Parts: sequence; structure tokens; C-alpha cells
Amino acid sequence: MKIRDYIESGAIESYVLGLAKPEEIKELEVLMEQYPELKEAIDQFSTELEEQAFNNAVPPPAFVKQKLITELGFEKASITAESPMVVAYNSNVENKPLEANVQSLGRWRLIAAASVILFIASCAANFILYNRYSSANARYQAILGERNTLQASNQFFQTQLKDYQSASQMMADPTFTIVQMKDPANKQNNMTTVFWDNKTKDVYLMANKLPLAAKDKQYQLWALVDGKPVDAGMLDPACTSLCKMKNIPRAQAFAITLEKQGGSPVPTMAELYVLGSI
Amino acid sequence: MMLKQRDQGAFTYLYDRYSGSLYSIILNIVPDRDLASDVLQEVFVKIWKQIESYDTIKGRLFTWMLNVARNASIDAVRSKGYQKSQQNRELTENIYDAGGSTEINTDRIGLKKIVNNLKDDYKIIINLSYFEGYTQDEISKMLGIPLGTVKTRMRSALIQLKQVIK
Repeated sequence: MKIRDYIESGAIESYVLGLAKPEEIKELEVLMEQYPELKEAIDQFSTELEEQAFNNAVPPPAFVKQKLITELGFEKASITAESPMVVAYNSNVENKPLEANVQSLGRWRLIAAASVILFIASCAANFILYNRYSSANARYQAILGERNTLQASNQFFQTQLKDYQSASQMMADPTFTIVQMKDPANKQNNMTTVFWDNKTKDVYLMANKLPLAAKDKQYQLWALVDGKPVDAGMLDPACTSLCKMKNIPRAQAFAITLEKQGGSPVPTMAELYVLGSI
Repeated sequence: MMLKQRDQGAFTYLYDRYSGSLYSIILNIVPDRDLASDVLQEVFVKIWKQIESYDTIKGRLFTWMLNVARNASIDAVRSKGYQKSQQNRELTENIYDAGGSTEINTDRIGLKKIVNNLKDDYKIIINLSYFEGYTQDEISKMLGIPLGTVKTRMRSALIQLKQVIK
């Protein structure tokens, strides 16, 4: 037998549609193992049949799916919850006369309608209230942020004020030697002031006017002792008013140079910004 | 295979994908929509419980399900209860018509629609064998034609059917 002839004999269709007799099924299944083209033809007809059925599908009523899900035990919890209600409702229906049923049905409808309306109204109210809550919350957050900023700047001003107060006290205090330091070239009107405690020999520096140092640079204070420069400390860029420097027991003059970050052992005279002698 | 895991997700997938196709074939055999819905439910329970017996080597899943649906539908039509209800229906036909029947012409949907386009000789053979489940012997006796003729017509009918399904 030629397999082509067999394929075209209607045997495939008969097999796929379930019309074949047991002996025909057996024969075909044996042949299928030998001839891949037979298997291919079966697959092809099955696929065509499936597509045809797919294109002509009729949607079944929705309750069938729900019934199946219940019947196959996917929703055990909901069955037990629902059944008493169903029983109660049924017995109710059986015992009362028809008219009463209709009346109670009408009432139930009314109640159902009322609860739907109430539910929708409550949803709407929730929505509105939630929107209000959101905007109020956003405003509250903004105000909170503003308050924190204000508090921070307030603190900043307080420290600055305290520094200026102590500076003005030093100026009035006779135990302090005040050294005015000026720009030797007088190019940029740079000006700083050193407050030098005569007793403790502590040195305080106020940078009244100095250009902003570059990131990798830092101002360094020098004390000139017998013609030699002695390191008197680095000017902290974070210090905005009166800055405590190193203790200097003896000096004739003070100078500030711009040095590399962290300072240098010897001042770079080309970068001399201010100078003041006692 | 996913379907053999037997969870609700797998079942929902199976149902959503195939229920329409299977309902269509069931309606071809069981024209009463209410009964067809019952059969569909029964078919999916069967499919779900017997999915182990489906052999992927022998054919496509849909082919197997289609056969389950066809057999269940023919069984339903042949059951004593259905025969009785059909007799009663004939008596109360007028009432049904007055109340607006749930029935549609199920000859115009699915596979039956295609079969109805075949030659009369072929149509009757396919209807009796495929949709009503009679054997070739029975058909031969019912139509009063030789078994050999039934076989030849059946063969030609199936070949034609294949052509029109394409």
C-alpha cells in the first residue's frame, strides 16, 4: 500500500473525528510510527479542525464556568459561606404565597438599589476626601520643609551674631592687641584683622575682606618673628567671622598668603594678600 | 505539562480557551441550550478528571477534547430523559413559541454549518455518523443502501469535508 493513497483515503479524517473502528485505529497507529508524513497529515487536519471550531466558537453562558469552579472544588470556602443563604431563601420562597413573594422581591430590589446608590455615594465621598487629604498633606510637607530651612538659617545667624559680639568685645578689651592687615599692593582693598591676646597669646583672625579661595587653595596666616615667617595656622573656609588660630608667643607682624590646601612650610611671597605690623 | 498540575489557573485557561469551540459542537448535537450547557459542564468535569489519559503522542489536545464532547453529547441525546423531554416538548411546542424560545437554529453554527454545504448524500451520512453516532451498519439499514455504498460515500464525504474545512 502506498502511504499517499492511504493518506487520501479518508482514514485520517475518520480517525481524527472519532469515527474509526478499533481495528482501523490500531492500523493507523502502527502506520503512524513508520511514516512521519502520515503523522504530519493527521496534525494538519487536526489543526484545521481546531481552527474551524475556534472561528465558529459560541460563548457558553457565564454561569457554567462558575458552576464548574465550584464543582471542581476550587472555591471551597465560598461554597460553605453561600449555601446557608441559598437554603434560607429557598424555604422562604416555598412557604409564602405568590403575592407576598412578589412584594418581598420588590422590597429586596429596593434595598439592593438603595445599597448600590449608597455604595456609589460613599465611593465618591471617599474619592473627594482622599483628594483633599492628599493636597493638605502635600502642603503640610512643604511648610515643614520651609520651617526647617528657616530654623537652619536662624541658627547660622545666631552663631554669626555671637562671633561678631565677641569680636566687638575684643576690640574694646585692652588686653587684646588689634592688628589691622592690609593689601600691600593695595590692588583689591583686601583687609583682615588679627586679635592677639596679650595674656594667653592666643591669636584670632577676622577675614573682613578676602577673595574666595580656589578649591585646592587655602589662606595661611604667618607671624613674622625677628624677620622669619612662622606658621600661625590655616584659615578654615567654613569659618565666616572670628576664627581661632595658633598660639603665637612673640611676633612683630602678621601676613596672609594663599597656599595649597593644608598649607606650606614656607610662605609663597608672590601670593601675599595682606600684611600688618604691630 | 501545565494542565496536569490541576490548579484553578490551569483550569481557567483551558476553559476560556476551549469552552466556546466545544459548546459549538455540543449545540450541533444537542440543540437545546439549557441541556447543552449541562453537557458542557459535564464535559469539562470529564476533561479535568481524565486529563491523565490524554496522550500527547496520539494527537492534539483539542482533538481529544472534541471527541469527549461529541461522545458526551450523543450520550445525552440518547438518554431516556432527553427522549422523554423531547416528546413532551412536541406537545407543548406552542407554549415555548409564545414564551420566546431559547433555541436557535443550531444547524447554522460550527461544524454542522460546513456539513450542510455538502452534497445531500454526503450530508446525511455525516449527520448520522458524526452528529448522531450511528455505526455504518446501522446507517446501511436505516437508509436501505448496501454497506459498501455507505463506506464509499463516507470516504468521499470525509475527503470533501477536509477540503471545505481548509
